[in-house]
Amino acid sequence: MGRGASSNGSAIGWRAATLAPAVAVYALLALLPIVNLLTMSVHDIRWDQGVAQWTFVGIKHFVALPADPLLRAGAANTLVFAVAAVALEMAIGLALAVLVSRAPFGRVAYRAIFILPILIPGIVIGAIWKLMYHPDFGVINQLAGLVGMTGHDWLGDSKLALASVIVVDVWHWTPFVFLLMLAAIESLPTDVDEAAQIDGAGAWQTFRYVTFPMLLPAFAVTLAFRLIVSFKVFDEVYLLTGGGPGTATEVVSFSIYRRFFTEDRMGYGSAISVVTLFVLALVIVLLLGAARRRDFQR
Amino acid sequence: MASRFRSTQASWRGALVGLGVSLALAASAPVAAQTGKLAPITIVINQSPWLAGFSRAVEAYEKETGNKVALDVNPFAGSAEKQRNSVRAKDGQFDILAMNSAWLAEFYHGGFLTPLGEIDPAYKVDPQVINYDDTAYWDPKTRTNNSKTGVPYGIPINGNIGVLYYRADLYEKAGLKVPQTWDDLAENAAKLHGPPNVYGIAQRAARSASDISYDWMPYLHSYNGGIFRDEKAGDFTVTINSPEARKALDVYVRMAKSSGPPNPGSYGQAQVITALVTGKAAHATPVIAAWPQMDDPTKSAVVGKVNVAPLPHGPGGKSTPTLGHFIGAIPKNIPKERQVAALAFLRWFSSLEGQTVYAKTGQPPIRRDVYDLPFMKTPEFRWAQAVAESSPNARMMYTVPEGPQIVAILELRLNQAVIGEKSTVDALNTMAAEIHDLMQKAGYKTGRLPDLK
Amino acid sequence: MLPDAVISSGDLMPPGALRNGSFALNACLVLAAIAVILPIVWIALAAFKTQIALLRGDFVFTPYLGNFHELLFAKTADYFAHFRNSLIVATATTLIVLAIATPAAFSMVRMGWPRWVPAALLLFSLVFHMIPPITLVGPWYVMFRSLGWDDTFGTLIATHVVLNLPIGLAIMTVFVRDIPPDLLEAAKIDGCTTPQLLLRIVVPLARPGLAAAGILVFIFSWNEFAVALNLTARHSATVPVAIAKFAQEYEIKNGVMAAGAVLSAVPAILLLLFAQRHIVKGLTAGSVR
Repeated sequence: MGRGASSNGSAIGWRAATLAPAVAVYALLALLPIVNLLTMSVHDIRWDQGVAQWTFVGIKHFVALPADPLLRAGAANTLVFAVAAVALEMAIGLALAVLVSRAPFGRVAYRAIFILPILIPGIVIGAIWKLMYHPDFGVINQLAGLVGMTGHDWLGDSKLALASVIVVDVWHWTPFVFLLMLAAIESLPTDVDEAAQIDGAGAWQTFRYVTFPMLLPAFAVTLAFRLIVSFKVFDEVYLLTGGGPGTATEVVSFSIYRRFFTEDRMGYGSAISVVTLFVLALVIVLLLGAARRRDFQR
Repeated sequence: MASRFRSTQASWRGALVGLGVSLALAASAPVAAQTGKLAPITIVINQSPWLAGFSRAVEAYEKETGNKVALDVNPFAGSAEKQRNSVRAKDGQFDILAMNSAWLAEFYHGGFLTPLGEIDPAYKVDPQVINYDDTAYWDPKTRTNNSKTGVPYGIPINGNIGVLYYRADLYEKAGLKVPQTWDDLAENAAKLHGPPNVYGIAQRAARSASDISYDWMPYLHSYNGGIFRDEKAGDFTVTINSPEARKALDVYVRMAKSSGPPNPGSYGQAQVITALVTGKAAHATPVIAAWPQMDDPTKSAVVGKVNVAPLPHGPGGKSTPTLGHFIGAIPKNIPKERQVAALAFLRWFSSLEGQTVYAKTGQPPIRRDVYDLPFMKTPEFRWAQAVAESSPNARMMYTVPEGPQIVAILELRLNQAVIGEKSTVDALNTMAAEIHDLMQKAGYKTGRLPDLK
Repeated sequence: MLPDAVISSGDLMPPGALRNGSFALNACLVLAAIAVILPIVWIALAAFKTQIALLRGDFVFTPYLGNFHELLFAKTADYFAHFRNSLIVATATTLIVLAIATPAAFSMVRMGWPRWVPAALLLFSLVFHMIPPITLVGPWYVMFRSLGWDDTFGTLIATHVVLNLPIGLAIMTVFVRDIPPDLLEAAKIDGCTTPQLLLRIVVPLARPGLAAAGILVFIFSWNEFAVALNLTARHSATVPVAIAKFAQEYEIKNGVMAAGAVLSAVPAILLLLFAQRHIVKGLTAGSVR
């Protein structure tokens, strides 16, 4: 960690100058909406005569949250969704990245193919997968029929709906993990790998004790961001199931959207957002803390 | 850019032609197009099947009057939000709001709109324009849509309602008659039910922002039931768990179970229309705006085979479709000259001339007299008479800003009744309790009926 | 040890390639590739099907160009303008985010800030990233409208920059940290100023990170919908807004949306192919030796 070897004055000057733009962007554009969100969460906002009426209500919204039946279902579904989807994406994305980095040929093609799903806008993915899942005309049931399996109502059966939505999410977002893990793998120094192999370590042992620990920072960052984005999942759920059947695919971001936007209850919707933020922040901080401790032990 | 419908012929010649045409029209129609230069205006509107017809009308208006009208076209999902942002700002971006029935209540109650009489004291509602459940009127004192005590705030620009689509070819083969009551419909649906090739009926029983509640409202209203006792009079006693409502829900659920697809609870409007156009459903009740897909060979496998009738009704009731229409209204936060220009356009659009241009593109006009024109009686427009007959009785689902919350409750519980998670009695009682709770917390004069047994 | 810089990317056998397990490896990759690409193929095909062929899930169909026609040339179509807008906004956002995030990452990791400074900034980034964008639109709309910016690229670029700065910062922090400190020390002893350090050492060595972050920011900005819808009007609207218009109330025009998606993927694919050359193994190892 180099403290500037050149004169202190210019070192401190550059230190601030390089960080300033990022801080400025946040200060100008991010602070205002956050403050606005927090303020709204303790108010009731109604419009009358074309003018907004803000009424301070303290923690009324927060108290009402646990009693909200949609939120209870939503919280459970979101947790299942986030954990299942993200776990699958991290595992598959990492595995694909490792495989592609060691593939004897076709690496350029594989890189392009495995990134494709993330290029497509969420609404198109939702709309097309909805057609693919159609019980009568969907290609999935048609293919199942060809190989002799029975088709199912993937989105209409409460037992299958959430899993079906998770499949779409995994397909959509694994490229994100793949891209970051591949970049991380490809910037690892190669000599360590070779040294381990010369020492007689097998492929799996090399990976587990040598490669993966070095990927841990990138892995942690990818995991954190994937987790955060999975809590915000919206487009696909909206187009695939609208939260149904019943409450089988109701997710928290959906509840936020419905409360905040469709029902125009900005105060209550903000409160849901704030609570979700806290929970998520806690989870992320714990995860990252664990990762950094492992990092220092190296 | 192509989405800006601006005539580039803003010349003296255009104005003179416009003047001449207008004078000629003034002799033949009660509402004359405004002449001379009015301020250019922008209409915020959503992409939809009827937009093409609307744009055609806009072009005709621009050519005739030389006034400029631009369209800001948005996806439906974002249109409400954009309109909201505009009316809540100090200066509005848009001059005419194409408001769907879903957010009418919010905008009326929020006080964002200008009464048309304030823009032009001589303004009178054209008697030929269909009323659509008083939704063009507003009474700020009692906060209700009431044509008797309120004044006009907007003009309907789209008359979308629910209707019964049925396979006329299958009817002919089986010798069936157009159903009058819901029981008649259930009978016909059962007769034509032949899974997996054809389902008797595809209902919109899915839970979403608005599917099953919209689909079921006509059943409820035509059994003389309702969510509230008398909204127009301000009596919000919750009556959704009345014996009439129970009959209405029972017939709905029965049909879904006996004549519907295997999982009707996941059929939203798009799936229902898909079922119709692929020939999988013998009956369905989407809105009339879906009609253009039926006879389009790139979109339909049943070209020429589908016909439209008014929705059935309960015994002793009237066919009562639910409104899914649009009102054109003018916000407060724009300069007076743009308000004047906006009103001029709306008046032209709702005139006989404007509506004729619009209806020729295949969309339901909002004027009674247009339905009597010869072209509306051709086979291509075989849906028209059903719509003309049903429109006067069409009703709004809700008229309060809490509407979307009420709908959310309806959507969830009704869907649970169809998919079997709740009995119909249980669903109705739960809805009554939840809606009553909601209205009480919001400060309305409310009460409720005792639980159904 | 042969300097790995001699071996470039592409089809030559990389140092770590498994020899014995290579059949299993290839089999896995091929299967995965098929699983990933099948829905893509389906989407691409959908662009050429009529609505009825799509709804019925026809495998055999006559190709239909009406979707592209409706997307590009219909009366209310403005896809070309939207495409151009998306290109401008996404490119500008990506360049600005990378230009801000890279020096900031270097600053946080190597310029001796007390521990709480980078921690606070990164934590703020994460928390900000968690907020659903629709809740941010309200205050932004008011802010930009009062500046008179509401139908301009500036608004969208500014908001996209702040939305994507978290991921940009996080990725660049990880990759800048991997640059060996002794390299930087050596350069400073040689008299390099901070800008020179950044340009001559950090940027070249962090290229895989820049490429990955660049692609992701470009894609996220390109596909962003909620903010683009609300803060733009006719002139500055972007591709997702154009595509969303075809998810209508009564009819989801899947074919047209698919056509829009197919065309909209082209810039990102081109960018990916361009950036591929920079996600190359071996350039780092060479300079360490």
